[in-house]
This record gives sequence, structure tokens and C-alpha cells, in this order.
Amino acid sequence: MYMPFHEVVGNVTTTVKQYKDSLACPVVGVMPAYFPMELIEAAGGYPVQLWGNNLQINNANSHLQVFCCSVARSILELELSGKADMVDAYAFTSLCDTLINLKEIYSRLFTKPTLELSMPITQTEEARRTYLSSVLATVTGDLEKITGQSITESSLEMAAQLHGYSRELQRELYQIRREKPGLIKNYDFYTVIKAGFFLPKRVYNIMLEDLLRELRKAEAPSGKRVRIVHTGLVFDPIEIYKIFDRHNIDIVDDDIANGWHSVSKGELKFNNLVEGVTDYLYNPAPCSCLYNPDRDRHDYLVEKVKDANADGVLFWYVNFCEPDAFDTPQLKARLKSENIPTTSIDIELTMTNFDAIETRINALSEMLGE
Amino acid sequence: MTVFKSISKMKEIMTEYYVEAKTTKEKPIAWVTSGAPVEFLYAMDIIPVYPENHAAMCASSHQAVEMMEVAEAEGFSQDICAYARTDFGADLSKGGPIGGLPEPQLLLCSTNICKTVIKWYEVIARKYNIPLFIVDTPFLHNGISQDLVDYTIMQFKDLEKFLADFVKRPFDNERMTQTIHLANDASTKWKEILGLAKTIPSPINSLDTFIHMAPIVTLRGTQASVDYYNLLYEEVAEYAQKKIGSIPNEKYRVLWDNLPIWFKMRRLSEFFDAQKCALVVATYTNSWGGLGFDEFKTDDNYEKLAVSYLFTYINLGFEERIKYLGKLIDELSLTGFIMHSNRSCKPYSLGMYQLQKEATRLTGKPGVVIEADQNDSRVYSDSQVETRLEAFIESMDSM
Repeated sequence: MYMPFHEVVGNVTTTVKQYKDSLACPVVGVMPAYFPMELIEAAGGYPVQLWGNNLQINNANSHLQVFCCSVARSILELELSGKADMVDAYAFTSLCDTLINLKEIYSRLFTKPTLELSMPITQTEEARRTYLSSVLATVTGDLEKITGQSITESSLEMAAQLHGYSRELQRELYQIRREKPGLIKNYDFYTVIKAGFFLPKRVYNIMLEDLLRELRKAEAPSGKRVRIVHTGLVFDPIEIYKIFDRHNIDIVDDDIANGWHSVSKGELKFNNLVEGVTDYLYNPAPCSCLYNPDRDRHDYLVEKVKDANADGVLFWYVNFCEPDAFDTPQLKARLKSENIPTTSIDIELTMTNFDAIETRINALSEMLGE
Repeated sequence: MTVFKSISKMKEIMTEYYVEAKTTKEKPIAWVTSGAPVEFLYAMDIIPVYPENHAAMCASSHQAVEMMEVAEAEGFSQDICAYARTDFGADLSKGGPIGGLPEPQLLLCSTNICKTVIKWYEVIARKYNIPLFIVDTPFLHNGISQDLVDYTIMQFKDLEKFLADFVKRPFDNERMTQTIHLANDASTKWKEILGLAKTIPSPINSLDTFIHMAPIVTLRGTQASVDYYNLLYEEVAEYAQKKIGSIPNEKYRVLWDNLPIWFKMRRLSEFFDAQKCALVVATYTNSWGGLGFDEFKTDDNYEKLAVSYLFTYINLGFEERIKYLGKLIDELSLTGFIMHSNRSCKPYSLGMYQLQKEATRLTGKPGVVIEADQNDSRVYSDSQVETRLEAFIESMDSM
């Protein structure tokens, strides 16, 4: 049932090249996070999300210090090592200091076009609206130059529906996971989500429909299992989920930028793009990288844990991710005050030895399974 | 480092400032970032207090590690900015050279130095349950534009309303105009002082200006800062006129990029003196000298203010940074440049290897990148840094 998704995730380059050839359109590499891919689709591009990978870092070390996160370093390695030849342009957001500077590095090192959706973080509404309007005019103009096609109201509508439907299907997958814990192995679940980063949405949606048809009929395994929610920015490396599966720990929900944060977004309101993109960026899930005092991350996570009937929270920390690191102590203290157990694991996307993590997960299993 | 006589005046006004901030019963206290538009606070009689300046003081007095360890014990990762960790620790322990900062009643933060400050100030806002106002100054990938200036001014206008609501009286426009003039005067004089470094030998160096920048950061918009920089200017100008160099036998003239290494100021000063190498200019200290006024000309006070807060060196795209480095290297007759790859400051440091290559390509002058940290001495190695610097200095052609 999950094999097609595993094949995609195991053969990203081949997959993207194959669809690029059949679609005959430029591939736009989308950097973390929250760039509305509908805009790329509406311009006739093929958006492919880049959230880092497990390549050994060789070339990127000449350009980025070791205190830069492995997400940025491994993405840069991809281009420097020639493994991203099929990508024609890159779309950034101003998510964090690292990505802002990474865009500058790309502009100096490579000839491929780069563009940035600068995300206004002011609470001054008029300023935000005016500025975002100007940013979107530039972004859409840049995309049109890359693809050679105009973004029209009808192309935006089509893209909004296509991507909105995809996320709707993914949300159903999340719901099934919450309601039937253990039915979908953690490793399979995140492979399915990850496959969506690389596949054209039309293809991905059909695969999801087929999968969901099977899952709706299936029953969850019986017996007591540990239920957790994990929180962080990037859910990779997916190899780690095999360890959870071995220990009968079910991740029943997540609070992760390329997981639920992205999946939970509703259909992009295409007829008022400024409002639509504002809503897309800031709702519904709060993120450590996007200042939004109207949506408290602490309350949100406590509510999520309770809704998911989870036994605890795992902090999934990608080393050197400052936004996440700043939030953690107060967030842990709040969870503790709610009697919600927490633990953390430190991640490098490029890691190949998971022994220390297995020890940690084993301890978690014992702690929560009692 | 040169001991200018005016340092005693600086110590006096900084002491007065901290005493007032620590003892005031009438004036609200705002914690602010070094790049926040502080003029609005002074116009409303709110005392701005600078955690960054305080963290630097902790490091200079070799108390930062102790503070950071307190923060780390509380769960703050060593991955986060050492300034933030130092201040979190000082706030928890009420330790450090002034026994911690006075508690804030509001927070003002601008993103022109990094986005990290948002996270830092969110932590403070949550701890004290106080309001946080953010002035978003987007990164200038492609230079400054009217849209960006307008965006910033709209936020300034909202800031005025926010402050008026906070102190429960109308925003004082007249006082604001005076404050802007005072800030401009101090900034202009600061720029003139830094410009005196064009003299050969340089009468002032960056290890001096890192110390003397305290008033332009903390007292920008006050008469005290203007008076202080007038005094310092006279003294430095006299040194320039008499051709008194900031180090004995200046042989090399270099630029320093990024923040200082606060806990190594004395040792580095002795090292550079021995090497006859003057740190003539620093991109960091120059950021308070009205960098963008040549790029966006305007007579409007608010537009000028917006430009000065948008156009900080660290908020510029690499094209602008390289051009600026080239300009400084040329105008100040430099023989090379030193780039501090600062573990605590990603926006200043990521991309530095590329900047080094391109600045050398543009100017023909050698550059070196050293790995260090502004505040955390635990990740610093004297021998590694000094060996690298020695090799770099040997590679330069002398004056």
C-alpha cells in the first residue's frame, strides 16, 4: 500500500526528472517554509519542496559554517554536488536569518533565478497589507519570468483547488492516524507526507485517494500503545520512525513546520491574494518562526496534546535552529505545568548512526508506557 | 587601545543613565534592541534599556560565561545567541556588573539586526507578561525602495499610537522632532569621528570605537550623546592633526567585520599593537552612522528615520555589502580585512566565506575569516585565532 510512496522518497532525483520531462515545465525548488506553492503551479511551474536531505556534507562546508543548521547545509550540498540539476529556480521565504542569507549565497554562487516571499511580521495591519501586496507583485512577476506564463485568475483558482484538495486528503490521513493509532506505521506515514514534496499534485492526489480508500476500511491494532506528539521544524530523518515503530510508539499528531503546520492550511483564497496569502502564512497552526501574538503556541500545543490524547511530547530539535531553541524552555515548562511529560532528541539531517536516538526513544517508551 | 580623556565623560554619562534606569519610579522602562527606533521612546519619556549593551558589558568584565551557564541550566541551548543567553542568565540570577537590568514594562524590537531578536523578545514578553512592539525592517536583498520606507513609516505611526496608549497621553510630536534632531546630530558626529580614521596613522581604531559606541547605541536622541561626541571628536581630531596614531608604528591598516570579541579586547589590543596592525574601521560601529543616506535622499524626518533603520550593514544584501567593503577599503587606505565568523550571529556570519572571496577579488586586498564568538569564551581558542591572524598579517603588503 505504501510502496509507491517509498519508491518516490527513495528516488527523488529520478522522480522529479521523470515528471519534469512529462510535464515539460520548469522545476522550482521551494525552500523552507510556507511558500504558497499554488503561485508556482498557477504560473505553470512544478514546485518541489526542499527540506534538507541526508547527503554527506562536503562542498557546502566551504560556504556555510558548521554552526549553520543541517537543513540549509544539506540543501546547498544538493545544488553544489550537481544533484539538483533538474531544478531551474529557487523560491525562498524570509523564514529565518539562515534562509535569508542562503538566498544571498545562491544569488552569488549560481545563475539560477531566486525569488523571495518576504513575510511581513508587523502587527500594523495596513502596513502588512500594503507591503505584502508589493511583495506579491514582485514574486508573481518573478515566477512569470521563470515559467514564461502569466498567472491568471483561472490558473490561480485551479492551483488553489488542486493544492487545497491535496492538503485536505493529507488531513484525512492525519485524522485516521489519530483515530486508529498503530494502523499506519510512523515510517510509512511520514513517507507518504514526504512524497508530496516531490510529486506533481495531480499524481500525488490520486495516490492519496487510493491509500485512503484502503485505510478507511482498516482497523487499528489492539493493545496498549504509547501515544506521543512531536514538535519541531522538520520531521526528517525519516529513518528514525522505524525506531518508534519497533518500540510500539505511535506519533498521533505533530507540531512540525513541514508536517501539520503545512498540511493544516486551508484552500488559498485566490480572489484576494493579499488576504489569502496572509491567512495562508499565519493560520491555523502557530510556528516558532512566524511571530503571531494572536495565536499562542503554548495554548495551541497543550490543546493539541489533549485532543490527541497523547501521553507526552517529544521535542524534535534540529541542531542550530535558533527559533525553535528559543521557544523550548518556556514551552516545556508550560507542558510540565499541565502534567504533560516531555523529552527531546537532537537531530542532524545528515546523521547515519541512530544508536543514541534509539536509547532515548527506548527511555521514552519506558517512561510513558508505565 | 587609546585612552582618550573623554572616556571619563562617557563613564559618567553611562553611569548616570544606568542609575536613572535602575532607580526611576516615574519613567517606564522599555527593553530595546540596538537597532530599535529609540527616538520614539525618548520623545515619550520612556527609558530605553539595551540588553545587548548589557550582555557586552558582562563579557567585557568576564562575567558572561557565569550568566550563560545560568541560562543553559534553565534549558536555553548553547546554539542560541550568546547575548541572549547572557541576558537570560543575568535576569534569572540578578548577577553581572550592574546586578541585572531594571525590569521592563514594555519591549521594542526591530528586525534590522536579525530575526533572532523576535524570539529573544518573545521570551522576555512571555516571562514578564508585557507588550512587545516589533518594527519589521525587511532584509534589503535589492537595496532600499520607497515601498520599504513607506512600510517602515506606517509602523512608526502605529508605534506612536502604541506608546501614547501605554503612557496614557498623546504622542509628543514636538519632543519627537527635537529627539530626531539630537539623534541625527549624534549620528553625524559619530560618523565624523569614524571618518577621522582616514588619517594615516589612524588616531582611533575599532577597539576604541567598540567602547565609545555605547552612547550612540544607548543615548541616541539625547543631548548627552551629542555633547559627548562633540567632546570626543575634538580630542580625536587633535590626535589626527598631530599625527598621533592609535597604535605605535602603524604598518598595517585593516577593517574588522562583525561584532567584537568582547572578552578578548585587551589581549587582542596587545596582539594588534605588537603586530603594528591598526583596526581602522569596523562595519559594526559604522552601522550607527547613517549608512543609507547616500542611497535614498530625502529631507523628510520620518523618511530619514526609516532609511537609517532599514539601511544597517547587516540588513543589506551581499552586493551592497561587497560594494561597501570595497568603498571602505579604498577610502581608508586599508591593507586588508578581518572577518569574524561569529557563532552567535548568523546574519552577520553566514555567507562570509563568499564575501571574503568577492571583497578580495574586488579590491585586491587579502582578507581572513576567524572563527569565534562575541560573548562565549568557551568556544574560543587564542592560539587558533592568533595563528590565523599572524599568517594573514604576514600576507599583507604594509603601508
